[in-house]
Amino acid sequence: MSDAWIYGEHGGEATSRLLAELGFSPHRVAANGTLRPVAGESRAPALAVILASGLEQPSCAELCARLAADDDLGEVPVLVALASGALAAGVGVAEGHELLVEPFSAAELQARIARARRAVNGIDHDDVVRVGSLEMNLATYQVAIDGKPVDFTYMEYELLKFLVTHPKRVFSREALLNRVWGYDYYGGARTVDVHVRRVRAKLGSEHASRIKTVRSVGYRWEGT
Amino acid sequence: MTDRRRAHTVNGVTGHREFVLRTVEERGVKFVRLWFIDVLGLLKSMSIPVSELESALEEGVGLDGSSLEGASRQREHDVIAHPDPRTFQVLPWRPDSLVARMFCAVRQPDGEPFGGDSRAALCRVLDQAAGLGYTMQVGCEVEFFIFAPLGPNGAVPVTLDDGAYFDLTPLDVGSDFRRRTIDYLEQMGIPVKASHHEVAPSQHEIQLAHDDALSMADAVTTFRIAVKEAAHELGAYATFMPKPLEDHPGSGMHLHISLFEGDRNAFHDAESDEPLSPTGRAFLAGVLAHACELTAVTNQWINSYRRLATGFEAPATVSWTRRGAAALVRVPSRRPGRVAGARFELRSPDPACNPYLALSLILAAGLRGIERGYELQAESIEDAADGVLLPQDLREATDLFERSELARETLGDRLVDAYVANKRRETDDERRTVTEFDRSRYLRLL
Repeated sequence: MSDAWIYGEHGGEATSRLLAELGFSPHRVAANGTLRPVAGESRAPALAVILASGLEQPSCAELCARLAADDDLGEVPVLVALASGALAAGVGVAEGHELLVEPFSAAELQARIARARRAVNGIDHDDVVRVGSLEMNLATYQVAIDGKPVDFTYMEYELLKFLVTHPKRVFSREALLNRVWGYDYYGGARTVDVHVRRVRAKLGSEHASRIKTVRSVGYRWEGT
Repeated sequence: MTDRRRAHTVNGVTGHREFVLRTVEERGVKFVRLWFIDVLGLLKSMSIPVSELESALEEGVGLDGSSLEGASRQREHDVIAHPDPRTFQVLPWRPDSLVARMFCAVRQPDGEPFGGDSRAALCRVLDQAAGLGYTMQVGCEVEFFIFAPLGPNGAVPVTLDDGAYFDLTPLDVGSDFRRRTIDYLEQMGIPVKASHHEVAPSQHEIQLAHDDALSMADAVTTFRIAVKEAAHELGAYATFMPKPLEDHPGSGMHLHISLFEGDRNAFHDAESDEPLSPTGRAFLAGVLAHACELTAVTNQWINSYRRLATGFEAPATVSWTRRGAAALVRVPSRRPGRVAGARFELRSPDPACNPYLALSLILAAGLRGIERGYELQAESIEDAADGVLLPQDLREATDLFERSELARETLGDRLVDAYVANKRRETDDERRTVTEFDRSRYLRLL
């Protein structure tokens, strides 16, 4: 289940409930200036919600800046929730990737999450992603080239999905291991290279070269 | 690897199961084959309809554990095969009715690993290595023959071509076959580095790109069935028999071994120009020190020793070299900038071995070399036949294996005893057989 981290106190309970309804597992982050619900957590959540009403230390702008600057959290879609009265004051209106005005329904939250994700990744996670003749259905785990199914193993699929949904950014092997595998594996850091080779072999000549090897750094997906 | 990573299972078992169930549904897979490995490395398969898949993933599937004991089965006992969803793969052949496979971990009904599961034995050694901070990477060159459809049992096989080493001519009917095989392998996520016609007629070699040891053992197992399928589709027969033709070289399976500490190749020597680091030399010393005990596993058939006996660059003694072609181990010269490439090539194994047991023992021997600081023997100059002789036949190899403390410690008594029982039976059967050799040599003379 995807994690959602919630910053701020105002309306925290209600927001947690709505996120749970949408299938997320909500975690409240303590209001002591920390960025993570658990110290030392390296895994990024699927999204972050900042409840900006009554938020003072750190301010909403400060939180957003620190999230953006964090190695692991820089690409997390951020939603900022404001009380309607705060809109006129303009505080927090320009922060995050998407704005929510309290009170909001589950349906609105879902739509805003999709917009925030699109703002960050260029795609919605329930979308079908197309790159030339390559089609990835992120809801059904199916990949096709020219309409013909290509059979990946789960980890090959997850690696391809991660690269395709984070185009044009270079990821180190360590970052890929953390974010795609996230657990111990016999291959160690070499696992990434081995899986990239397998994915390239299955993608075939037209698409294999989209996974660029960035010498002594890592890998990058070239979408176009 | 850090505890931090261990604690967070981003893509844990649930994700894998969900992926398998969804893929089966989306792709219209009808049957799933549960693969497990017997003590001789032969692939065993149990087919289940997809309606049974969910419960198979949850609870496993019962089977008779004696089916893992090869030809010398003892009494029946119940074990449970637990399919590993990480190994779920749709099989690329027979596209009309989609079939997928998963490798299984075989456990006792109480959940404990079953002592007769050689795949589990390899996992155990890999865990030990991981505890010391090491992962083993293995590359593999597999040789094999494809013949015309086989005649009556015992007949000499008919070759398909007269192609010679690296020949690329219309005579080489095998190139179609190699293309098809490579296609299958790549579709199954087994990248091929190179392929070519080998020295003997009808003999081929396919090189598999390096991978972690468990994935490589699974790849070799998958490779053998993919090659047989591809040959069958072209009306031919593929065999991994080590020495099918008396006057031609046999088939080997050279293993390229390296050891990694995280991202770093532990065999690479940054301090000097040596081709292997002190860790690499100690590891290799361990493999050489235990090479004779290992031979029953790397060369497990009576026929394996006919390959080793007849030269054609097959190794005969416990030796290593940088330049020669016939030593047990070749250490490739350093290539500037190729840190990840530091490795050694073990040349004795043949493609009919049990890759799980072979890699288990090679790794265990190497780790022992590191832990106990073994000294590497001197390099063999050219192809001088110095060094201890490797076992001359299966009987001698089995005797050494049976007494090997390393084998018992690494594989456990159950596997060692089942293995030895199989091999004793094989040598006894041979001892009773009157062969072509007997008749041609003795019938007139005596």
